[in-house]
Amino acid sequence: MTQHPRNAAKETRLTAGTPILFVDRVSKTFPGVIALDDVSLNVRAGEVNALVGENGAGKSTLIKLMSGNYTPDGGEITVGGHRLEATPADAHRAGIATIHQESHLVPNMTVAENIMLGHWPARYGIINGREQMRVARAAIARVAPDLSADTLAHRLSPAEGQLVEIARAISENSRVLIMDEPTTSLSGREIDQLFAVVRELKAQGMGIVFVSHWLEEVFAIADRVTVLRDGRLIGSEPAAALDPGKVIQMMVGRGVAQVTTSAHPLGDTVLKVSNLTRTGVVDDVSLAVRAGEIVTLAGLVGAGRTELANCIFGVDPYEAGVVEMAGQRLRPGNPRAAIDAGIGLVPEDRRNQALITNLSVSTNATLAVLDQIAPHGVLSAKREAEALAVATQSVKVKMASADVPISTLSGGNQQKVVLGRWLARNPKLLILDEPTKGIDIGSKAEINEIIVRLAREGTAILLISSEMPEVLSLSDRVLVMRSGRIVGEIKRENLSAEVVIALATSG
Amino acid sequence: MMGQKTHAEQPESARTEGNSRVLDAIQSLGLLGVILIGGLLLSFASPVFFSRINIENLLFASTIIAVVAMGQAFVILVAGIDLAVGAVLALASVLGVVLATKAGLPVGLAALLALAAGTGIGLINGLAVTVLRLPALIATLAMMSITRGVAYLISDGRNIAPVPSVYVDIQGSRLFGVPMVIILTVLLGVLAHFVLTRTRFGREIYATGGNAVAARLAGIRTNRVIVIAYMISGFAAALGGLMITARLEAGAATAGFGYELTVISAVVIGGVSLFGGEGRIMGVLLGVILLGLVQNAVNLLNVPPNYDYVVSGAVIAAAATLDVYRRRLVESGLRRRTMTIRREKAQSRDAAQTRDAAQSAPPTRTGQT
Repeated sequence: MTQHPRNAAKETRLTAGTPILFVDRVSKTFPGVIALDDVSLNVRAGEVNALVGENGAGKSTLIKLMSGNYTPDGGEITVGGHRLEATPADAHRAGIATIHQESHLVPNMTVAENIMLGHWPARYGIINGREQMRVARAAIARVAPDLSADTLAHRLSPAEGQLVEIARAISENSRVLIMDEPTTSLSGREIDQLFAVVRELKAQGMGIVFVSHWLEEVFAIADRVTVLRDGRLIGSEPAAALDPGKVIQMMVGRGVAQVTTSAHPLGDTVLKVSNLTRTGVVDDVSLAVRAGEIVTLAGLVGAGRTELANCIFGVDPYEAGVVEMAGQRLRPGNPRAAIDAGIGLVPEDRRNQALITNLSVSTNATLAVLDQIAPHGVLSAKREAEALAVATQSVKVKMASADVPISTLSGGNQQKVVLGRWLARNPKLLILDEPTKGIDIGSKAEINEIIVRLAREGTAILLISSEMPEVLSLSDRVLVMRSGRIVGEIKRENLSAEVVIALATSG
Repeated sequence: MMGQKTHAEQPESARTEGNSRVLDAIQSLGLLGVILIGGLLLSFASPVFFSRINIENLLFASTIIAVVAMGQAFVILVAGIDLAVGAVLALASVLGVVLATKAGLPVGLAALLALAAGTGIGLINGLAVTVLRLPALIATLAMMSITRGVAYLISDGRNIAPVPSVYVDIQGSRLFGVPMVIILTVLLGVLAHFVLTRTRFGREIYATGGNAVAARLAGIRTNRVIVIAYMISGFAAALGGLMITARLEAGAATAGFGYELTVISAVVIGGVSLFGGEGRIMGVLLGVILLGLVQNAVNLLNVPPNYDYVVSGAVIAAAATLDVYRRRLVESGLRRRTMTIRREKAQSRDAAQTRDAAQSAPPTRTGQT
């Protein structure tokens, strides 16, 4: 077997502070969005580099580039002088191990088999169980001495699973360990245990990239903090030279708080939610939205905002609480009832939850008004054309023809069609879940204008947004969610990015 | 092959508009082309092929499969599958005769009850898939076994003859010289096409099969749509059962054995995606005719009957391969198009950014080097 050239770099023992992995002016574009723009950073031996930034700042994209899952559009990533090919296998060979947010263990294999996954010690294709056990045990001993190598992976807790993935990285002699939000599913004690392991690996010269939303954790473990915003590198400084306030300022940027809506008269209460609880995701939430009001749910991904929207719209059932539209109680778990009561939902995941991708723009745009365009069940071409006009003209969709499959439109135009689908119904309440996610800047501005216009015309808007400028410029009122609860209400006059982020990330 | 050519000749028009139309045309034309070429070759090999009587026989023999396949198409369009159709066909065949001759019901009522039984089995299948959330394959496999068993129980495994004369009369009747059965099948085809393309329910079928989550969020009662699709399939299979009774002049619990696979093959060859949401009735009918053509060829060319299954299987594999190939072509076409749009976007954005940069100071960057 010939040795991979990069293994040479892997095996030399590096002294602390030596850069191992170089990200050099890397850019990455997706349809309609620039995810990363000219970003450079180094991962150094014996250093924990914490990567922070708001949702959509480009952290995940950067990680996927470093772990070989994406090809950069510009720039390059080098390890020990060799350019990283965009395959996970090459990243492994180069000594880069990644612990993703979701588990990458094979559930029905043992801990030992998982640690040696894909490089089981074998001769003539027959696995040497004893050797496998020896190598696996040696790796486990360094991260979780109490864990049995015979345990099946699906019996492990999330924390144990993570430690097994770290053990795998050790057994592969990895020099760089990337951890994408490793603490989200861990308890306080488990986090301490994880941090102890991370410090140990650091002491042995491993370079560690650590992603977290929680600044407390960042300052507990990081030697260096790297901040991304809107796909750009804002700064990469020693943690000792920073404090949480400074990092928040770097994440938010200056001068973004342009307020575009002005105070306007509000109407009656349209939506009233009382004590809504769905075990494990939404915890005793009460809120109200008035006609013409834009209420924004802010918070981190996973704070329960989408889940709350799904309960209100009847997508998911809930155990306790009441949702009322104009005083009428809504039947839980029934989207049709919500729609009939005048609610429209633009879901977060456009492709999987909103679009029928192989069908035409016209069919997609009129999907929510089938009852109106098909009297007696037979489609009326005239009514369909009218509904299409209402749906697409008010949002100015750019398209060659309404008969093309919707998948051929840009993200921004697709989103306008999804929004227009509801406008054709003239809804009383629109729930917009990250309506500008993954679309280009021009369309973002247009969609924001439409939202403001709808509110002016009296539509109640419940907005979920992780984009700080949007939260600041559109909201009449902001409700901050954390762990399924509403932890703060900020009126428009007190609104600032610092307040929102502080409420969303602390505690 | 044919599909590839058409596509390559029209990259510009495909890029600018009517992608789905072009695709549809490729799909139908591709299959129609295969059928025509196959027919032409056959007519050289056997002078009998283009005779009126042979063509009529071919179509006549295809009618039962065509009716059952159109029902199956509704189920596959909502991303389901119905393996019970062959057994439902047998049960309806038995019921239609037993209820009339043994129970003494009027023939028409007996036939209606047989159809209702098939529809009811479809209802059970649909509820099993939606309410119980069983995988369609398992639910309908179980139902296939149960239904076939009930057909055997009722008939005690024997053919039930004679059948009421109405069956034989309809089977033999002609309109304008064309067998009534063929005309009825064509009318059903027109009806199914109308329902799928021109009604609210048809839209709901395509939306549910294309993306059930999105359809539900748009207010479509997807579970109900799925249940009705299975009921249509059950009804069509039962109708096929009455047709086979007329053809065999007996109620037969053994009828339609293995039909589910033939029917599913025809639907898939006809361009209906097994993932749901894509396909047309015209394609399904062409798929049925192609299978009928193969059977006809086997008969005309005196291929030993033992080769039957091998030949049919080979044709199915070839058609499916052609279909995958076509899809890949279409996908790469769409990707190219998206790339172009993306590039244009990026260019206009760069221009906008250059403008912005000229107006304001560039953001500070403190990247390490």
